[in-house]
Amino acid sequence: MKHLILKNISKEYGGTTVVRDFNLEIEQGEFVSFLGPSGCGKTTTLRMVAGFEMPTTGTITMNGAEITNNPPNQRNVGMIFQAYALFPNMTVAQNIGFGLKIRKETESAIKERVDEMLALISLQKHANKYPYQLSGGQQQRVALARALANRPQVLLLDEPLSALDAKIRVSLRSEIRAIQKKMGITAIFVTHDQEEALSISDRIVVMYEGRIEQVGTPFQVYNFPETNFVANFVGTLNSAEAEVVDSAQGLLNMDGIQFKTSQEEMKGRSTGDKIRMSIRPERLSFAAELKKDNVLDCVIENITFLGSVVRIQVKIGNARFNMDTFNNPFLELPKIGDKSQVTCSQEAVLVYSGEATA
Amino acid sequence: MSQSQKRDAPKARPVSQMSWAWLGVMPFFIFAFMFLLYPSSTIVVRTFQDAETGSFTLKNIINLMRDPYVLGAYSLSIKISIVTALGGAIFGFLLAYAAIRGGLPRFMRSSLMTFSGVASNFAGVPLAFAFIALLSPTGMLTNWLKAVGFNIYDYGFTLFKFWGLSLVYMYFQFPLMVLIITPAIDGLRREWVEASENLGATTFQYWRYVAFPILLPSLLGCTILLFGNAFGAFATAQALTGGSAMNLATIVIGAQLRGDVLGDLGLGYAVAFGMVIVMTVVMIGYSVLQRRAERWLK
Repeated sequence: MKHLILKNISKEYGGTTVVRDFNLEIEQGEFVSFLGPSGCGKTTTLRMVAGFEMPTTGTITMNGAEITNNPPNQRNVGMIFQAYALFPNMTVAQNIGFGLKIRKETESAIKERVDEMLALISLQKHANKYPYQLSGGQQQRVALARALANRPQVLLLDEPLSALDAKIRVSLRSEIRAIQKKMGITAIFVTHDQEEALSISDRIVVMYEGRIEQVGTPFQVYNFPETNFVANFVGTLNSAEAEVVDSAQGLLNMDGIQFKTSQEEMKGRSTGDKIRMSIRPERLSFAAELKKDNVLDCVIENITFLGSVVRIQVKIGNARFNMDTFNNPFLELPKIGDKSQVTCSQEAVLVYSGEATA
Repeated sequence: MSQSQKRDAPKARPVSQMSWAWLGVMPFFIFAFMFLLYPSSTIVVRTFQDAETGSFTLKNIINLMRDPYVLGAYSLSIKISIVTALGGAIFGFLLAYAAIRGGLPRFMRSSLMTFSGVASNFAGVPLAFAFIALLSPTGMLTNWLKAVGFNIYDYGFTLFKFWGLSLVYMYFQFPLMVLIITPAIDGLRREWVEASENLGATTFQYWRYVAFPILLPSLLGCTILLFGNAFGAFATAQALTGGSAMNLATIVIGAQLRGDVLGDLGLGYAVAFGMVIVMTVVMIGYSVLQRRAERWLK
């Protein structure tokens, strides 16, 4: 039995549909991220699971019981908010123990659970501090402990890292993932940061304009994007308009330059179709190293040093493509204006219908 | 210049000896000195000064403590201040909360704020006259009520006594409460309600454990400020009661300094000194509570 099922969920506000026909089944202990740009409906969907919004249509089932119309205080889901939402009049320990106090648990049981949670987030020394005396990262850890103290069936995280600085964000997301795994709790994580979603999720639900675009593991979503939107939104992508010149052979034409793609990408395409062709920057390399299915003449236009990666912008015909290569101290970089050749495999050339959406 | 040579550090900008900004705030300091510090210090000095000889004395303070007329005035002032502070605080808070968080149309908030800004400053003779025209024995509303068979004066109401004056004070007390409690209500975050609900709390439990404790310092601070506002009011009571029917501390000070009653200048200063102490306590209390509220609401 699936732990959490969202079936045919939609949400309308005054005639505007913000979530449409949302279907998702989540396993016990799974970490699922809702990923998408602002306004795609990911937070609204999360809030429907929490009970803060009621679906216009559809049902939500948790552990076999329908909870669609249950009020938020009768759902037993834990929620972590973007702005922490700690109660400022309570100490760290009181915040963590709040839910247990509401449940009228004994003083000793509350203390025991609070101590356990404080140990989990390594903030034992801060038990008697008030939220304003803590850093943002510490406050969010307290919020995590508070949400977990009630032993919720599902943990909901609404962009919990977006108010934190980059370094804390990376360390805290690992901490959240480790705690979630340790406790075996089902979690839904809302984010617009693809790196965050890719790094900690078992599965990612990519959303756009209230719809699910793709559900898959981070590997699937990144390497095999099912729609043009997913391909553009997740990771960096080179994209250009092209035409199918031979669907049987997988041949494409971009302004007179021929590309070869895989048969998989040609499914449902016919010769003469106008398509959008995409290649991830890391799938391109200089042809001098190893020639693959596509070998293309280019001119070096720009070189950007990004730390572990060097991004080289090349001009192929009239289109500009980025090529990523790992940095190393002995890397011999071309000069701007040099003529060269780049190459990529046919599997690296992705084909989509229509215009780019992100 | 070789690579190894250090560049000269850029010269620090010379620190200005005197900022022109001080000139801008000078009128405030002059005003505060002339109309706050100087009169206050004069009150303190003259409280402990013999009016005839100019020598140090505690006679004025002792007279104040022994004079039932003055003590009665303080008692009445404190009573009316407590009643109107509590009434204004409760009514003003409920009104502000309803307008800000009650889901009412947006224009309600701006209308209420505009009204409160005007009404909280509408005091003194005009306010007294407005209420006399409305609720005196021959007032407009009194007559309307009489016409429908309900004479409020038959039920013990008098505009010129305690409850009448309290009602008049309420006219500027609750709008002041609306103005000063609004930032605290704005500071209540929606996430706190949601977080408490998410943790299993009911609306009542949210108010009991979260919202009320967070608002409490602001509510107390604002109530104290309303107390001070009523305690220091003079013109409204004087205009409404003619200074005779209601023996308030401020009216006693006026009477003593004008020489209307006994003309004891020293006693007048001592009564005023007592008021300065009460108002200082009020301001300190407000400031401490406000700081606590800000710490939680920032």
